[in-house]
Amino acid sequence: MMEVISKDTGKREMVINMGPQHPSTHGVLRLELVLDGEVIKEAEPNIGYLHRCFEKYAELMDDYAKVIPYTDRMDYVSAINQEHGYVIALERMLELEVPERVEYIRVIMAELQRIASHLLGIGAFGLDLGAFTPFLYCFTEREKILDIFERATGARLLYNYFAVAGLMRDVHPEFKTETSDFVKTFRPKIKELNDLLSYNSIFIKRTANIGVLPEKVAFNYGASGPVLRGSGVKWDLRKNDPYSIYDRFDFEIPVGSGELGTLGDCWDRYIVRVREMEQSLRIIEQALDGMPDEGDVMAAIPKRIRPKEGEIYTRTETPRGELGYYIISDKSASAFRVKARAPSFVHLSMLPAISKGSLIADMVAIVGSIDIVLGEVDR
Amino acid sequence: MRNAVKQSWITFKSIFTGMGVTIRHFFGPTVTLQYPDERMELPKGARARLFVNIDDCIGCNLCARACPVNCIDIETVAATQDVDLGKTSTGNPKRFWLTRFNIDMAKCMYCDLCVHPCPTNCIYMVPEYEYSEYDRSNLVYHFSNLEPDMVAEVKEKAELEAEQKKRDREEMMRKKAEEKAKKEMEEKKKAEEKSEATSDDKPANDKQGEE
Repeated sequence: MMEVISKDTGKREMVINMGPQHPSTHGVLRLELVLDGEVIKEAEPNIGYLHRCFEKYAELMDDYAKVIPYTDRMDYVSAINQEHGYVIALERMLELEVPERVEYIRVIMAELQRIASHLLGIGAFGLDLGAFTPFLYCFTEREKILDIFERATGARLLYNYFAVAGLMRDVHPEFKTETSDFVKTFRPKIKELNDLLSYNSIFIKRTANIGVLPEKVAFNYGASGPVLRGSGVKWDLRKNDPYSIYDRFDFEIPVGSGELGTLGDCWDRYIVRVREMEQSLRIIEQALDGMPDEGDVMAAIPKRIRPKEGEIYTRTETPRGELGYYIISDKSASAFRVKARAPSFVHLSMLPAISKGSLIADMVAIVGSIDIVLGEVDR
Repeated sequence: MRNAVKQSWITFKSIFTGMGVTIRHFFGPTVTLQYPDERMELPKGARARLFVNIDDCIGCNLCARACPVNCIDIETVAATQDVDLGKTSTGNPKRFWLTRFNIDMAKCMYCDLCVHPCPTNCIYMVPEYEYSEYDRSNLVYHFSNLEPDMVAEVKEKAELEAEQKKRDREEMMRKKAEEKAKKEMEEKKKAEEKSEATSDDKPANDKQGEE
């Protein structure tokens, strides 16, 4: 269990603000820290600096398809995964059949995006702790993925690539070879990353036994994704509640084991992400093998999207955890209500619980290890 | 003591493993481009700026309606009957003067949603990305190729024609109404005549009956 460092010195407490312009807060997050010397007694995240009314916009748009670019902008680091959840929700509402080729391309894209997102998360995590080099190497690899995306979708960050029951455009002819080339060159890079960062003593000292999130606390706060898996819970929506065609692929769910410290510490959460990238590569390889070469990706896109009256909640596994869309339709052209359950928001809410009693320098590690994107927290 | 030595050894080793990786990268190929001097060529379908081939535009407004951020501003004026605007390269007849076709690239979110509904494929993204401006208003791109006086002329003409049409329609309506009234009158007359005739007949019948 977590060891609380505390010593009653009888001195006054100090309140300091960390952020919103702090470089290690991954966006605009303000943390109100109540300190006793160097020890954090209380931490309160203040959010809302990046609020863009996603849910209201989703109701105001006069077409369901117009919301897809807005979902991109929730978690701008893993835009494809955000779209994926939304289009799946609409497809289930409309009871549409998605063509085989579309499903395969979607899975490849989603997994590539997962790797890109984890690379950014890992790189930035290292950067927060003072390791500048891995950040650049991670970005070099991420850049390659973005190049593939750019050739396929036309954009580098905010794709608007998935359409309901289809894709906005077909992938470029060299997509398959390019992607398999990337998979081949990327495998050794994970080992390199492990050498450089994961098993580096300094890095381990800064992350192991820090910010321990016990399994029970994780459950109580509703954690998901790598944060939950870092606490040793084998829970992955791709396996436990398969959507799209994930039930066809063979992959494992990496979980934290507390091998270098306590179960559920920052290092566990970090290493889960690294191992997940390997699993994503496995999925991509299998999907590339199974992907049909022929097929119109735009044929099944409906002209008008008018779901029946009703409501739906769909959840997908994004790099950050369970992303849920709750959509109520009133038969009109736009949704009556769209609620997005953002994993980053949930994970940020448990920051006070896991940072109590740690040192202020470790706060940076804890925030980095839960890998939040403020665009998704505030929406 | 032994533990401390072991720990130091592990730290020492891990630092040198890391150094090894960086040394290998140091002698590897560089990946950075010295931007203003070197440029990466954007792929064919890259979405960087919207472009409208105004000669092919039929003014259907579909792109403006598809835009989630309302960055496309179109104003059309119906072409008068004496002018023929010709056809687009895809064969669609053009029926509107495009007096205004502005795209605010500062608002645009490059989502590509306007490109797909276009019936003549005249609005599309071009891979041109160096168009920053000091003034935001310069980011509003004017695609309409009509001169201001031409716009005024076209509008006036269209107004005149619309008025003429309105007058024609009113005239027609009046004529129709007149005709209708006339017909009704005639019918009334006929009916009256008929009733008169029947009333004329009746006494005869009566007479016959009497006989």
